[in-house]
Amino acid sequence: MKVLVPVKRVIDYNVRPRVKADQTGVDLANVKMAMNPFCEIAVEEAVRMKEKGIVEEIILVSIGPQQAQETIRVGLAMGGDRGILVKTDDTVEPLAVAKILKAIVEAEGPGLVITGKQAIDDDANQTGQMLAALLDWPQGAFASAVEKDGDTLKVTREVDGGLQTVALQTPAVVTTDLRLNEPRFASLPNIMKAKKKPIEEKTPADYGVDTANRLSVVKVTEPPKREAGEKVEDVDALIAKLKAAGAI
Amino acid sequence: MHFQLDEDHRMIQDLVRKFVDENLKPLEPKVLERDAAGEGAYLTEDEKAAIDARSQELGLWGLDAPEDVGGSDLPFVAMIGVNIEIGKTCTPYYIPPDSPNLRMLMATVNDDQRERYLAPYVQGGTISAIGISEPGAGADPAAMTTRAIRDGDDWVINGRKIWISRAPQADFTILMAVTDKEKGARGGMSAFLVDKGTPGFNITRKIPMIGGQATYEIALEDCRVPHANLLGEEGKGFAPMQVRLSTRRMQMASWCIGAAMRALDMMLDYAPQRSTFGAPLSERQTVQNWIADAYTRIRAATLMTYETAWKLDNNMDVRTDISMIKAYATEMAYDILDNAMQLYGAMGMTKELPLHLMQSHIRTQRIYDGPTEIHNWVVARNLLGLKR
Ligand SMILES: Cc1cc2nc3c(=O)[nH]c(=O)nc-3n(C[C@H](O)[C@H](O)[C@H](O)COP(=O)(O)OP(=O)(O)OC[C@H]3O[C@@H](n4cnc5c(N)ncnc54)[C@H](O)[C@@H]3O)c2cc1C
Repeated sequence: MKVLVPVKRVIDYNVRPRVKADQTGVDLANVKMAMNPFCEIAVEEAVRMKEKGIVEEIILVSIGPQQAQETIRVGLAMGGDRGILVKTDDTVEPLAVAKILKAIVEAEGPGLVITGKQAIDDDANQTGQMLAALLDWPQGAFASAVEKDGDTLKVTREVDGGLQTVALQTPAVVTTDLRLNEPRFASLPNIMKAKKKPIEEKTPADYGVDTANRLSVVKVTEPPKREAGEKVEDVDALIAKLKAAGAI
Repeated sequence: MHFQLDEDHRMIQDLVRKFVDENLKPLEPKVLERDAAGEGAYLTEDEKAAIDARSQELGLWGLDAPEDVGGSDLPFVAMIGVNIEIGKTCTPYYIPPDSPNLRMLMATVNDDQRERYLAPYVQGGTISAIGISEPGAGADPAAMTTRAIRDGDDWVINGRKIWISRAPQADFTILMAVTDKEKGARGGMSAFLVDKGTPGFNITRKIPMIGGQATYEIALEDCRVPHANLLGEEGKGFAPMQVRLSTRRMQMASWCIGAAMRALDMMLDYAPQRSTFGAPLSERQTVQNWIADAYTRIRAATLMTYETAWKLDNNMDVRTDISMIKAYATEMAYDILDNAMQLYGAMGMTKELPLHLMQSHIRTQRIYDGPTEIHNWVVARNLLGLKR
């Protein structure tokens, strides 16, 4: 089975994002970028499946600017086999991403697509679900465990109030939650090997997808500042304070 | 001209950053506690073994060692980012093998020594020390008096060395000694590989240093070393020793950049949080000047260090550059840490934050491998065309 893993280049999770002065978005000038952490989890899951012999080939896709090639390279260093960079400098909304991925799925014929449940930049949480709908494939979103049993994938999902396990017939789409696995670091020998792995370059037009935006951002603002806290001497003082505040 | 590291070198720096975040920074409280208790800022053998195992698993050993002995043969420019990341923590650790002696060995070993010393140094994580300084020869190593005299198949060494780091732990020490008194530094100084436990290699004293460090004094009393352990050519020890020092100086500049970056990050974190007289510290112009100054000087040091590394990789003469970055980066980091400590107030004076430990470590870096004044002297001398 082939697995397709889309990987997104986003602001590094260690960086404290700042809103641009004109409130049109987050300031990305001179900011460290990295692979979306949920995508890292997706790559890790694919690599583990390959190590178990369930998967033969891992194809990584990134849709974004030229620099997104680096994000693919990181995935290749983690254990991906080859990459496809769909190059565009425009903002690509989840629906357009899903359409491009659908076209790639049709060309490559993977038995499974593993995406992150969301990207930490827009937190849209839509692409995987939209892709499944467009392909008319079963989906297991927010996976915290994935097990393959013949043509069936058992996916444990983190849902409100607990865990739900679903059985999916492959081909299918799975989106990763935080607890699915702990992604490995790309080790130095694997970084070196990744240099030689192929990355194919495409454009959205190659897949006949119109990426014109359907949404317009009205305003981006910083979250409200947290009020400074107060230190208390001991537990009794804490309880007294909480009572006074009407919290307990 | 382009100002970007190669993609794989950036990825290697990222890998080291993660390694430092995950494996070294969590040990900081323990290191600080030991230092505060007067025990020194050290890692236990178990801690070190666990970190070594992890760094080896990640393929980080022998980054700048030749491929035929199991290294990755990375250029100097790639090592800058690696050492910047290592410099961001006060947990004392270097990825084996420590580069300076590695470079000296690479420049000097014969086939037999390559097998006996260089290969285990790269693959097995053996520890080495360097013995240059003496009670009467520090900033001016050419003044050393430790003598090695040929006796049949051996050399017999007598003299004293001081301020030697890692002396008791080292599996071998590269020991500098005078083999021809007449010629001195110009053709009369040689390097020897002295194994741990060699009779006459007597560690007489442990000297506690600031920054939770220690150095050692060594008395060489009829210390017999086989001729096979003469490193490089007889009388030609001074030049490879300089290669070693250049490597350490590049490494030190990079550590200092990392330490200053950590200090700047801590300033950026704290300045908006702490309010005095009704306004956050981040709104005080003095504090803003500290921040702008830190950013500017870190950038200057970074660009100078990368340029020097690039020149070294391209076999260009870097004697002036190396002295310039060593002096500039160590002083820069010391000042920036000082401002960060000032910003944190009493908290900056505690032995709980890493700032004081990083600063006193850097305080020693303004001395070892050549005090600032010597390096400035070298720069000026080279510009003025003066001979020593
Ligand atoms: C933590 C630490 C670890 C060390 N580890 C090692 C080691 O592993 N192996 C080793 O061999 N050595 C080691 N050293 C020794 C170190 O290399 C020397 O201390 C250094 O070279 C300075 O020599 P010195 O201490 O004798 O100072 P001196 O030579 O006495 O100089 C003292 C001061 O005089 C001034 N000065 C000297 N000459 C001039 C001049 N020409 N112009 C202007 N000012 C001048 C400088 O300000 C200098 O700081 C270590 C030192 C420290 C602090």
